[in-house]
Amino acid sequence: MTQATAIAIRDLTKTYKDLKALDNINLDLEPNRIYGLLGRNGAGKTTLMSILTGQNFQDHGSVQVFGHEPFENDATLARICFIRESQKYPDDFKVHQAFAAASLFFENWDQHLAQELMKEFDLPAKRKIKKLSRGQLSAVGVIIGLASRAEITFFDEPYLGLDAVARQIFYDRLVADFAEYPRTIVLSSHLIDEVANLLEHVIVIDKGQIVIDADAEELRGAAVTVTGDVAKVQEFIGTAKVLHRDALGALASVTIESQLDAGRREQAKLMGLDLSPVSLQQFVVRSSLSSASERVDEKSEAWS
Amino acid sequence: MNRIIKVARMQLINKATFIGIPLLILFSAFLFTVVIWWLVRRNDAEGILYGGGAQAPMWYFLALGIQALTLTFPFSLGMSISRRSFYLGTLALFATCALVLSVFYYLMGLVETATGGWWLDGRFFALQWISENNWFIQIMFYFVLMVLLFMIGFLIATIYMRWRQMGMVFFFTSLGILVIGAIALITFTDTWMQFWEWVMTWSAGGVTLWGGLAAVLMAGCSYLTLRKATA
Repeated sequence: MTQATAIAIRDLTKTYKDLKALDNINLDLEPNRIYGLLGRNGAGKTTLMSILTGQNFQDHGSVQVFGHEPFENDATLARICFIRESQKYPDDFKVHQAFAAASLFFENWDQHLAQELMKEFDLPAKRKIKKLSRGQLSAVGVIIGLASRAEITFFDEPYLGLDAVARQIFYDRLVADFAEYPRTIVLSSHLIDEVANLLEHVIVIDKGQIVIDADAEELRGAAVTVTGDVAKVQEFIGTAKVLHRDALGALASVTIESQLDAGRREQAKLMGLDLSPVSLQQFVVRSSLSSASERVDEKSEAWS
Repeated sequence: MNRIIKVARMQLINKATFIGIPLLILFSAFLFTVVIWWLVRRNDAEGILYGGGAQAPMWYFLALGIQALTLTFPFSLGMSISRRSFYLGTLALFATCALVLSVFYYLMGLVETATGGWWLDGRFFALQWISENNWFIQIMFYFVLMVLLFMIGFLIATIYMRWRQMGMVFFFTSLGILVIGAIALITFTDTWMQFWEWVMTWSAGGVTLWGGLAAVLMAGCSYLTLRKATA
């Protein structure tokens, strides 16, 4: 492990009773990048972030944040901010009091930024937190995450209940603030298309396993959908890995994991086949689904 | 160390919780008591009048112990605070508040004695069983009682945070079995008389000592429980 690694995860496993929430995970996160932690609900995203921030504990494996175990380690924890999607606040706290508390513990806290964001999100400073709507509650978490300027900041489904305008404010602010104060950001989300453009690196987790761990740049164009006559499509794709297949009569639409060069594109054109790009969201959905069906295949093979 | 103090400051962001409400409870209990004494005196009652209102804020500390944990602990995890810092900061703050309030009880006891029980021969702060001791034992008695009640609430809440409903069922079932067992033991051995005679021999100093030990024991248990609690 190099000194430059922000987070190093080795053989991480966490089991809840009979559910394997995290299954032997290995990951390295570099500093000062924006990571997307993508996956379905219950895939293990929150569990992973909880362990990385010392809020929960693993059964096996190790976690190092800036070279130290985060659990019960104040010096390391002080460099991390993780507001969970279901974050609880003291019952009697008002919005501005939650920010006052955050300003105590995050040494890079920017009160000016917090106040600006409060205005933009239209958040009433003097209202009690337990009287806030779901969207306003999310806004409190987003503001703490942004204004804390922690070296590693986790956003756990930060957009729940936020309207489209508020979500755009969050994305714009995140990018602008990141440009000015680079830090490691982990954005957990299942609204993949919305955040796709922000992400520099994509981690997809499904049923506790890492399905994809790749640069976003690589993933854009990593897959393509080929549409046309069934036989011709089959001839064109050859042995490429099929992520998804739709058929309608003599027509087939097949998504394959393959980067096509200009020659191949020309070939598709000559064969009368349509090529269409696959969005990150489609790619992730197809990858998760195909990894799930692979596992089913393995199981059924084991049975037979 | 720094973060421990910050936890105490966080708990004080809403000053009503740790300072305002206990004082409000104490003063309203005191006022009610004095008014009742005055009414009783108007009807020419004789002898010393006792009021138990001084314990009123102490019961609030039981609830405060629960509240400090169930609501503030998950929040403090979100503030990237270690469980150890949360525990030490919260306990240090409560101990300080309890000590200040205990000294205040003692001073009010002095005033009570000097004014002849608020000119009504009443006893609110300077209950004889306590006030016949020296100043140190008096202050420690109040202090230990407050900390003990806080720790009971705190320990129950940590057990809840760690093991949730199952923890509560197990804890209260065990407690019930222990209490019933003790009652059964005394009943079958026919020693209730001795038991009450023994209770009557308790002194404020002894209660302070044993209560203090119990509080320390509970503090240790709640720390070990909290170490692996999750939000």
